Amino acid sequence: MSGQEIPDLRTLLGSRRGGPSRGRARGRGGFGSSHEGREALKDEAVRNTDQDAAGSRVSCVELGYLHDPYAKLFATQPATRRLPLLNRGSYVRTSAIDDLVDRFMNASTGPKQIISLGAGTDTRYFRLRDRYPDLQLVYHEIDFATNTAAKLTSIQRHPQLHSKLTSRSAPNPLALPPAATTYHSSTYNVHALDLRTLAASSEENTLPTLPNIDPTLPTLLLSEMCLVYLPAPTVSSILSSFLQKYIPEPTPVSLILYEPILPNDAFGRTMISNLSTRNIHLPTLLAYPELSDQRARLQQYGFHQGAHVADTASIWRAWVTDEEKERVAALEMLDELEELDLLLRHYCVAWGWRDSGSEGVFTKAWADIKEQ
Amino acid sequence: MSSGGCDLDKAIQQLRACRPIPENQVRELCHKARELLIEEGNVVGVDAPVTICGDIHGQFHDLMELFRVGGDVPDTNYLFMGDFVDRGFYSLESFLLLLCLKVRYPDRITLIRGNHESRQITTVYGFYDECLRKYGSANVWRYCCEVFDYLALGALVSGAATSLVPTDGPMAENTNLDNFPDSDADIEIETLNANGEIMYRYARNSDSQSSQPNSNPASSSPIAPTPSRVGPAGTGATSSANGSVKNDTGAILCVHGGLSPLIDTIDKIRLLDRKQEVPHEGAMCDLLWSDPDEIEGWGLSPRGAGFLFGADIVKCFNYKNDLSLIARAHQLVMEGFKEMFESTIVTVWSAPNYCYRCGNVAAILELGEDGSNAGYQRRSNGDQGGGGGGWILGSNDGSSSNMVGNGNDRRLSSVLGDNMQRTRDGPGRRYRVFEAAPQDSRGMPAKKPVADYFL
Ligand SMILES: C[S@@+](CC[C@H](N)C(=O)[O-])C[C@H]1O[C@@H](n2cnc3c(N)ncnc32)[C@H](O)[C@@H]1O
Repeated sequence: MSGQEIPDLRTLLGSRRGGPSRGRARGRGGFGSSHEGREALKDEAVRNTDQDAAGSRVSCVELGYLHDPYAKLFATQPATRRLPLLNRGSYVRTSAIDDLVDRFMNASTGPKQIISLGAGTDTRYFRLRDRYPDLQLVYHEIDFATNTAAKLTSIQRHPQLHSKLTSRSAPNPLALPPAATTYHSSTYNVHALDLRTLAASSEENTLPTLPNIDPTLPTLLLSEMCLVYLPAPTVSSILSSFLQKYIPEPTPVSLILYEPILPNDAFGRTMISNLSTRNIHLPTLLAYPELSDQRARLQQYGFHQGAHVADTASIWRAWVTDEEKERVAALEMLDELEELDLLLRHYCVAWGWRDSGSEGVFTKAWADIKEQ
Repeated sequence: MSSGGCDLDKAIQQLRACRPIPENQVRELCHKARELLIEEGNVVGVDAPVTICGDIHGQFHDLMELFRVGGDVPDTNYLFMGDFVDRGFYSLESFLLLLCLKVRYPDRITLIRGNHESRQITTVYGFYDECLRKYGSANVWRYCCEVFDYLALGALVSGAATSLVPTDGPMAENTNLDNFPDSDADIEIETLNANGEIMYRYARNSDSQSSQPNSNPASSSPIAPTPSRVGPAGTGATSSANGSVKNDTGAILCVHGGLSPLIDTIDKIRLLDRKQEVPHEGAMCDLLWSDPDEIEGWGLSPRGAGFLFGADIVKCFNYKNDLSLIARAHQLVMEGFKEMFESTIVTVWSAPNYCYRCGNVAAILELGEDGSNAGYQRRSNGDQGGGGGGWILGSNDGSSSNMVGNGNDRRLSSVLGDNMQRTRDGPGRRYRVFEAAPQDSRGMPAKKPVADYFL
């Protein structure tokens, strides 16, 4: 599933920053024996996590947990049915974020912007276009070039997707050149870049330009299992680029995080060791172990109007209506309740925002959501 | 695989190496097992000493670890409370090995049915797919499912000692000796680690009931809070403080899930027609699916099958059936075991690091034999093995002589009404706690079949 494919050499080139030279590394005879080599393999493993997410989504859709006609168009691997507890967890993850996004979409009639960090094969843009055909939405997705290229290929292959790239102002979808890694329009933008290049470095203060990012639109930043793969200081720095440079005050900005918590109990320790055998590492998990750390972190980033957290076990209990719970529970016999609870308690959604307070778009959207 | 003998021993050897046996051997094995199991009642009588185990779930290498920690068959008598299959990578090898051992040493090992021993559940949770993958057809799965239908629904352990003969093993690191009972105390509970080192010891009726096991790594599980000192007047269950009375423990009911609102006596379990797929509801379903919970009376189970039942239900059932303890499995417990309701019920979980993901430890529960129990009858050792029969204890009459009359609801409510004390001292309980088999011996397939986490 991972780690066995040939590493992407572009990343290897892109991540040269001192350390042992490649020549020396080659001399020692090992790809992966140099710092760059190891980092490239790690990046490769992280990029591959996207197909895990895609597969989980497809499994959920096929069993009726989620309605998403687009999910399977992006999955490159044949659909494998996930265990009931994983389907339940994926359901909670997607529907919790959908819930927050919906409230944002409905909070005011004005135009809005969403930037999905490490978007992978996420289908949210296409689903939102169906749900809010009249809303002015500028959607951005950022991911490594390998992943954006694959995504754009899928889009081009399927008319259901391709036709969604239009907007009123630009009624004809752009024809994409083969092997395109980026796409830009007034509604949908795919940026091929390593998020780490957005970390404001002290030496060269040149941040990459992100076409069509509108510094004046209320903006939702979304990190669904993405920033967790980066070191905490890098994440802070990336977010401060967004909050200060790309979308400076007073534009309202919010962040939704979905990621694991509780690394220090038996389950958490096992998770860390299992994932590390796939060469997947979760640096921010250790930096923000508890729900309270996640909340404090949002405040540190500057989300002063609101900073809230809930683990997915409590979200299932408190956000999902009884009727919906009954519907979902009837989809599959779920025997492993203790394990489910354990699993769901180890993932959280955190959401924080900066706006003008009581009349601000995020305050209006999210003020009355139950946190844990 | 003609009856018993060396073919069976060869199969055992092969399965112990975690290599599946050929399809025709499986067919024969299952046939023999059915002949054996059909003779067992719904509630199998078992004599102490016996080691009680919870869910295994196809974690073959951890089952080997369990045998290493608890002793090998036939030297140790085992009672497995179901859920042999599903979830782990080696359901087939695990179940077939246990079944071979059952056929080879029928009176040394008891297997009862778990809710995963069912056609419907195994198609969702992995055993079906595993059989298909390993044999290319569903035949083996079908043979196994036929065996599932014959597994007993419960077991009744009698002749267990009230107090433990303390292990004279070394102390585990970090054990706090201050909390240890005196050497002459009547030991009710002892917890040992996989190396046989003592992690914790607890005396019956000790004054040091405050001596909750601070030093016990398992201390987050509520271990044995305050056993009652004295049974209700007139039950003859007054216990002596110093363990001079050793033969007053009631029987121990073992069942995979728990109780059923349709079952108030063990005799009612005996009357069920068990030889079928696990039904979606009813008494048989409840026994395999229910869970104890901190509620009063009965509650709906979030699992969608079985019920939740509270302390009052357990105490009443134990009183009425002259039980000292219910041992059950079914629920993951991070510390391997968990006693509830003043030690009237215990959950035993024997799959360490469940699903290679949960990080939990596992436990097995050893019940010693009561030396002074006149009724105790040594079992034949299974060495003449192989052939069916072999049960010395009749399956249907074990230890029911003391039981309060059937379905006597007046009696039931009066018990509920005035005195919810335990009627019987629990047996001495030695828990052995162990971790997953070391990584290198686990032989996990290089390629994991599904995503284990949300990425
Ligand atoms: C587990 S996937 C999640 C995908 C999507 N957000 C979802 O939830 O379905 C993580 C994604 O983040 C991307 N990612 C991780 N680190 C990144 C970085 N430094 N720059 C760009 N993308 C990154 C990966 O390539 C991958 O597509």
